[in-house]
Amino acid sequence: VSSRSGLAAFIPIVGVLAFAPLLSPLIHLDISIVAEVLLFAIAAMSVNLLLGYTGLPAFGNAAYFGLGAYGAALSIKYWHVHFLEAVLIGTAAAFIGALILGPFLLRRRGIYFGLLSIAFGQVFYFIAYRYTDVTGGEDGMNVARPYLGVESAHVTLSETSYYYIALAVFVAAILAFRVIANSPFGRTLVAIRQNEPRVRYLGLDSDRFIFVALLVSATLAGVAGSLFAMNINFAYPLMLDWHQSGDFVLMMILGGAGTIWGPLVGAFIYVIGKDIISTITPLWQIFLGALFIACVLGFPRGILGTIAALTQRPPAYAEEEHGG
Amino acid sequence: VIEHLGPQLFNGLVLGAFYAIVAIGLSLIMNLTGTINMAHGSFMTLAGYLAFTIVSRGMPFWVALIVAPLIAVIVGVVVERTLVRPLYKRLPFYSLLMTFGLSLIAEEAYRLIWGANGVPFSGPKELSGTIGLGFMSFPTFRLFIVVVLVVAMVALALFLTRTRFGLRLRAAVQDTEMIAALGTNTQVLYMINFGLGIFLAGIAGVLAAGMLGLSPTSGNQLLMPAFVTVIIGGMGSLFGSIVGGVLIGVAISMTTLFIPAASEVSMYILMAIVLLLRPRGLFGEEGIFG
Repeated sequence: VSSRSGLAAFIPIVGVLAFAPLLSPLIHLDISIVAEVLLFAIAAMSVNLLLGYTGLPAFGNAAYFGLGAYGAALSIKYWHVHFLEAVLIGTAAAFIGALILGPFLLRRRGIYFGLLSIAFGQVFYFIAYRYTDVTGGEDGMNVARPYLGVESAHVTLSETSYYYIALAVFVAAILAFRVIANSPFGRTLVAIRQNEPRVRYLGLDSDRFIFVALLVSATLAGVAGSLFAMNINFAYPLMLDWHQSGDFVLMMILGGAGTIWGPLVGAFIYVIGKDIISTITPLWQIFLGALFIACVLGFPRGILGTIAALTQRPPAYAEEEHGG
Repeated sequence: VIEHLGPQLFNGLVLGAFYAIVAIGLSLIMNLTGTINMAHGSFMTLAGYLAFTIVSRGMPFWVALIVAPLIAVIVGVVVERTLVRPLYKRLPFYSLLMTFGLSLIAEEAYRLIWGANGVPFSGPKELSGTIGLGFMSFPTFRLFIVVVLVVAMVALALFLTRTRFGLRLRAAVQDTEMIAALGTNTQVLYMINFGLGIFLAGIAGVLAAGMLGLSPTSGNQLLMPAFVTVIIGGMGSLFGSIVGGVLIGVAISMTTLFIPAASEVSMYILMAIVLLLRPRGLFGEEGIFG
């Protein structure tokens, strides 16, 4: 459904993104902001897999995002690792975080899963906040962007080359996501969202599918987080906070839950909107809150979902009725 | 350390009573309508600030303790009728997202109206001393808090079990369609239920402002322990929320005393243990919301 249109859109979207370093100065946009759009889009994609596809209210993905960020930040600071190593360590930290939390989160479904995600996610926030000696506590920590590859090469990453790394990772993530979404595994996740008991009656262990989805989701969020920390050269505890999780969810819903390109559209509106509004007024948070409410009440299918509905293509994420 | 044990234990109980009352309000709303009210903390903060304004206009604390939660209830009911109600037929997740947005707006609004920094607010002078009970002495205001919160919980329990309206509420939690078919206006039920939850939050908000301080984010700081309380105590159980709240309150105060670095994390460890041993929570019923 949306995947076919997803493929058709691939070339023009990536084409425009490839020229972003040339285009963004024309509208006075810092290229690192565009990189931020791509990285937040990956994080929103990680929410999309759990919420948009599997139907689990993943309200704690900032934990994995922040684990990625701190994994990279701490390994750079204390072990002086290179760029690739930092990304790998950050991603591994997020993966391990999900490996530990998974068995607990899997105990419940529905809104209970949401509550558990919010609550367990806060553990990492408090750890980062508390262990000031190691993490810098509330003030956060600076992240010196490391050299690419071997030390002797000493290739420092400029803003533009860093943007292209973010773009490459984004393209890889979206292709991987598309493969996953269209695989039997991805179809099973959608089936779990629609009717988990039936999936179990068919002899499929839905717990295992959800656990794998959680691990994939955390890995995506971890990659995004580690790259984000090196993009802004900073890691801070609020990256791990449930408000950050809420923002990722908003980006996903805003763009269109259960669509391939929704997270990118949502992240774009969120980041650029924040950038513009913050220069005009300090009341960004009120706009953000209003955006949440408008999105939920006005267009819950998101921008792409609404367009898909208008062009008579049912979105992958059809609204399910809740008796209550 | 040992001489602090008694007072710390008492502090834990007071904290636990706060967590319990916030959790009960959350639970009421969650049980009937499947709404996770992320703005619950914002309503607590609102009641706190309203009480601050009432007291600073020269009116007594006692008036504020009643009037501020009632105003919060009016705001809450308006919010429920206009913003939450359209979401009842949708996945519960949407109301979570909506109330989250609401809490962001509220926080910024409080900052605009009452300032970004905290404002001073304390209990009435009559309650400022301590009461000695032989073995140790208790701050009067904190004892008062415990009394008020316990009275509120008992009143709620009586209301739910001894009145026709409470009966309808509990029946609606079991089977909303059936109670609607039997002629109860469920929309009125939803509205009053939401108001009830906000009223409890409001009372807790005024009292917490006097004990824990008042700032744009102060209510939200009680929200996370209240979530954990609901998970530990079990969804849909009033008694469970009380036990869960007290457990967490004591766990936090004890770790603050003995292992300060773990004070925030302790409740999550408690939650993890309960989830492993009894996923539905200590007193939760099987099958409610999966």
